[in-house]
Amino acid sequence: MAANEITRPAALTELGQATLRQLMREWFNFERLLGGVPIIRRLDLATFTRSDYQRLLLNLRPQVVEGSRWISRCASSFDRDHADIRSVILRHAHDEHRDYEVLEQDFVAVGGDLATIRSQARNPGSEALHAFLMFKAGEPNPGGMLGAMWIIEGLGEKMASSWASRIEELTGCGSSATRFLRYHGGNDDSHMDKLYGLIDRICTSDRACADVVTTARVVARLYAWQLEEIDSELAA
Amino acid sequence: MSAAFAGRETKFVMNAYITSTGAFLPGPPVSNEEMEDILGCVEGKPSRLKSRILKANGIQTRHYAIDRDHRTLYSNLDMAVAAARKCLDESPLPARSIGMLSCATTQGDMVIPGFGSMVQAGLGIPGVELLTAHGICSSSAMAVKAAVNALRSGEHRSALVVVSELASRLFKSTRYEAAGGQAAMDFNSEFLRWMLSDGAGAWLIENVPRGRCLQVDWIRSFSHADAFPVCMSIGTPTNREDERTWQDYPTYAEAEAAGALLIRQDVRLLEHIVKLGVDGALRLIEEGTLVVDDIDHFLCHYSSHHFRGKIADMLEMCGASIPQEKWFTNLYTRGNTGAASILIMLDEFLREVRPRVGARILCMVPESGRFNTAYMQFTVTED
Repeated sequence: MAANEITRPAALTELGQATLRQLMREWFNFERLLGGVPIIRRLDLATFTRSDYQRLLLNLRPQVVEGSRWISRCASSFDRDHADIRSVILRHAHDEHRDYEVLEQDFVAVGGDLATIRSQARNPGSEALHAFLMFKAGEPNPGGMLGAMWIIEGLGEKMASSWASRIEELTGCGSSATRFLRYHGGNDDSHMDKLYGLIDRICTSDRACADVVTTARVVARLYAWQLEEIDSELAA
Repeated sequence: MSAAFAGRETKFVMNAYITSTGAFLPGPPVSNEEMEDILGCVEGKPSRLKSRILKANGIQTRHYAIDRDHRTLYSNLDMAVAAARKCLDESPLPARSIGMLSCATTQGDMVIPGFGSMVQAGLGIPGVELLTAHGICSSSAMAVKAAVNALRSGEHRSALVVVSELASRLFKSTRYEAAGGQAAMDFNSEFLRWMLSDGAGAWLIENVPRGRCLQVDWIRSFSHADAFPVCMSIGTPTNREDERTWQDYPTYAEAEAAGALLIRQDVRLLEHIVKLGVDGALRLIEEGTLVVDDIDHFLCHYSSHHFRGKIADMLEMCGASIPQEKWFTNLYTRGNTGAASILIMLDEFLREVRPRVGARILCMVPESGRFNTAYMQFTVTED
């Protein structure tokens, strides 16, 4: 088993199918949550401004910088019996571990100051999100982290397919300032195949499935909180 | 609970059956090429977006209740009554004995009174309990559910559901010219011009089966207006910074000039309707109401090509996909008639496909207005 590569299964088991259905619902629920977050609502209502975009990047960076840490920790928490899962996650960690630099360049391109974004502290939502991800990633064989990846990868795709062009349209910034948002749009077929493979590999008991779904739900909530905090700071 | 009451409760299993259907589509089918001849060119110039929008929705023919001189040949009421008469003509049930009249339309001929009052008068049926559901596409499902509930509660033995739409009057070139012409138009204000058309449908629902009919298994809907912005609307002006709605203007003429009477679709938000449609289905699967493998026929007021790509793949992988051969639609030939669509679709389906006894039919009505998705399941039964 350990030597095998994670690939798309011909069909998911009943348990795998049920987990995928629940993950889809968690995703739709996350989109509902996002719809109610003030800064995202402004995107929908076309009142999103250039300074909104700056604040969005400022508040995303601290968590993105830490992103490579929880992914790496997650990979190293899988033992030799789960080396196939570890390979997938390691590759993923490598792909993303410098993407905060792209984010910083976008911030500068939209008129921000590099020193400002580099000194930006985590907002309370980012703090909670980061703590939870680091904690879950440190558990032995943290299969539940599949739920975290489901939400964060899904959001990456949403940023690329929906937010980037909308932000360009509303703020007048060019595509040179939305490279980070677009960077995560590579959710192609092979990516989904890997995901189905991971579901098949990880979701082999009710308990494992519940862990995946619960982790997705917690990450979604904390991510939405992180974005909500952007406006709490405005009010403070 | 008294023994007598417990006895009554078990004795009567309240149920509802669609025992007859009817549909009315005004005039001959109108091809894509003829559409603009009838609706008119705004400021004399042909639309530049028409072919792109038609290609996306796939509609080939539709029907209009207005002619090329923009005269209304059939009112919304005329169409509603025509569909209701067709439905009633095929049933031995005398129209006078109908207990409830449950109607829906996006906009009647009159702003008030309710469309149902006008339909009752048009049909001349006395003493009905009346309902007019207000909304857009999913108002049809609301009207059906209210009718079914009235039967299940034992208050009525029969209910007639009549749903009619006359959208074309909104699409006359003069409407756009009054709102600032080409300069004030964009993709969102033109989108529905090449999408919606006219027609009416009616279902007769009774509390006992009659011949071959459809037992109503369940009707459910999920509204998401709390979490999503308005996506399809009439009532707000072209200038998004102006927060007034149409009745806030000093005169209706000023509201029209500001574009507050144009029908709009926020196309950017449309992707949510597919996802929320899937979300509702997954909720019904989770609670055990919907068993996808048991569905024999799927009637969806939405083109199957919207459920493509990644979401189709995910539905397939999670076991919630309905194979293409089970889909039935007449959207491409009868057009998108808004709330009336699902009634017109079921009528044509029953006549053309003649499903076997025991066949399960799932209908889905997604409304983009402010995101409401409705689902209805029927089982073909024989008295």
